[in-house]
Amino acid sequence: MHKPVQLERRGVRLSEKAKDAIFLAVIICPAFILLLSTIGIPIVKSLYMSFFQVSLLSMKSQVWNSFDNYKQLFADGDFVHSIGVTFRYVFSVVAIQFVLGMALALILNGKIPFRRALRTVILIPWVVPTIIGALLWMWLFQPQYGVLNYILQTLRLIDQPLQWLSDMQLALWAVMLAALWKQLPFMVTMLLAGMQGIPGDMYEAATIDGASKRQQFLYITLPMLKNTIKTVTLIACIENFKMFPLFWIMTSGGPVDATTTLAIFSYKTAFIDLDLGKGAAIGALWLIIMLLFSWGYNRLFAIGEGKGGSAH
Amino acid sequence: MRQRRIFGAALPLLGAAAFLLFLVFPLYWMLLTSFKGNSALFRIPPDWFPSEPVLSHYKKLFADNVFTTYYRNSLLVGFGSTAITLIAAMFAGYGFSRFEFRFKSLALFSILSTQMLPVVSLLIALYTIYNGYGLLNTRTGLVIALTTASLPFSIWMIKVFFDNIPVALEESAKIDGASRFGILFRIVMPLTKPGIFSIGIYSFILSWDDFLYSLTLINKDELRTLNAGISIRYIGELSYDWASIMTVCVTSIVPISLLFLFFQKYMVSGLTAGAVKG
Repeated sequence: MHKPVQLERRGVRLSEKAKDAIFLAVIICPAFILLLSTIGIPIVKSLYMSFFQVSLLSMKSQVWNSFDNYKQLFADGDFVHSIGVTFRYVFSVVAIQFVLGMALALILNGKIPFRRALRTVILIPWVVPTIIGALLWMWLFQPQYGVLNYILQTLRLIDQPLQWLSDMQLALWAVMLAALWKQLPFMVTMLLAGMQGIPGDMYEAATIDGASKRQQFLYITLPMLKNTIKTVTLIACIENFKMFPLFWIMTSGGPVDATTTLAIFSYKTAFIDLDLGKGAAIGALWLIIMLLFSWGYNRLFAIGEGKGGSAH
Repeated sequence: MRQRRIFGAALPLLGAAAFLLFLVFPLYWMLLTSFKGNSALFRIPPDWFPSEPVLSHYKKLFADNVFTTYYRNSLLVGFGSTAITLIAAMFAGYGFSRFEFRFKSLALFSILSTQMLPVVSLLIALYTIYNGYGLLNTRTGLVIALTTASLPFSIWMIKVFFDNIPVALEESAKIDGASRFGILFRIVMPLTKPGIFSIGIYSFILSWDDFLYSLTLINKDELRTLNAGISIRYIGELSYDWASIMTVCVTSIVPISLLFLFFQKYMVSGLTAGAVKG
C-alpha cells in the first residue's frame, strides 16, 4: 500500500499509465499466485520427479535413476494397455454423447409441450456428484437385485442376469453408461444454447427455397453450430481423459485390468504402490499425449474450416 | 402420407420420453430405495412405488456423528473454495477484459490449457509440496487445491460478462473522480451479478463433486469431505448396504439440487457464455 502514495507524490506525469499498470498487477496477482503455486510449480516439480526414484514412504531420499521409470513403463505393457483403454473410453463416450445430445437438443429446440420444464429437469444429473452417480448405477447394475437386469429380463432382451461390472467385455460399457447419464445434460444444454443463437429467418428462407428438414440440419444447423460443437466436444474429451471417480468406485480398474485407464493406472502406481517417481513419469507421458491430442484436434477442425471456406 | 405425418409428430415426443426415462428414472429409483425396508429392498419383482416407506435409514444416518462431520467439512471446503475463486476470478477476469498487455492471449490460453494437465502429475507434486509445508490433512490445503480446479474456467466465464459491459460507463465514472477499485466495486460488479452468481455456483458444484483431491490430500476421518467419506465407509465391503448408500446419496444431492433449482437461470447462462463465446 506504500507504493501508490509514493508515486502520486513524485508527480502527475507518471500517473494514468503507471497507475493502470499497478492496478492491473494488483488485480491479476491473486489468481496468478494461486495458479502458479498449485499448478505451475507442481507440474514442473512432477516432471522433475519423474527422473528420480521416489517412494511415498521415503520422500526425502530422491535418487536419480535416469530414465528407469520410463523404461519400466514401456517394458511391462500395462502403460500401453491403459492408453488403449483410455482412448477407447474417451472416444466412445464422447461420440455417443454427442449424437444423443444432438438428438435431444433438436427435440427440445422444437415445439414440444413442457419444454421449459424438461430443459430444467434433464439437467439434474449434471449437478449430481460423480461418485454418487457411480454408486447409483452400481445399484442399478447389481446382478441379483438390480432393477436393470430385472427390466431387461422381463422384456426378454436377456435370458440371464448380466454381471455388468465384473464382465471383462461389459465393464467398460457399463461405466460408459453411467458417464453418459451424468454428462449428457451438459452436452444437451450447450448444443441447445448454440441452436438458439441461430437466427430463425435462416430456416424461414430455407423453407421457402424448399429445403427439407434434413437439408436444413446439414446445411444450416451443423455449420452454424461448428464452434459450439468444437468447444463442447473438447470439454467432454478433456473431462473424460481425466475421469477418475467413476472407474475407481465402480470397478477400481477391474475386472483384471479391463477398465484401467491412465487416471486409474497412474493413481494406483503413485498412491497404492507408493511409487511416486513412476507415477510422475506416467503423468509426463500423459502430458505429451494430451499435447499431441489437442494439436490433432485443432488440425481436425482447421481442415473442416478450409472445406467450408472453399464451398462458398 | 398421413400416417407418416403422425409418426413425424410423435417421434420427438417418444424420443423425449425415452431420454427423460434414462435421465430421471435412476434418481427416482435412488429416492425410492432410500425409503425401502430391508425386506422390500431385495424383493423380486421390485416395488415400483413406495408401498410401506420407512425412515429408518435416514434416522440411522443422522444419528451417526461421522456423517454430520463429513457434511460440515464438505460445506466448509465448498464455501471456502467458492469464496476464494470468486475474488480471484473476478479480479483477474476484469483485468483480462479491460486491459491490454503483453502476452495477454498467451496467458489466457495457458490458463485454459491447465484444464488438460494430467491430474496425477498435479497430485503427486502437490502431495510432496503439501507434505513439506504441513498442508496435508488440513482443510486449507484442500480449499487451495480445489480453488485452482475451478479458477481457470471461472476466469474465462467472468471475462465474457465483463466484455459485455460498455466501457463508457466506467469512463464517465472516472471523469467524476472515482478510483479504479471504486469503479470495479461500485459500478462494474453490480452489473455483473449474473456472472458472479454463475461462477460461484460453478465452483461450489465442482468442489461438491470433488473426490480425488480429498481422497489423496486428507486421510484423517474428522477432516474428510462427504464424497471421500462415503467411499471409505461403504466401498470394498463384501456386501453393500444399498438402502443406506442410497440414503447418503439422496442427502448429498439435496443441497446441490436446491442450489441448482434456485440459480438455474444464472448457471446455464454463465456456462453457455463461457463455453460458447469464449
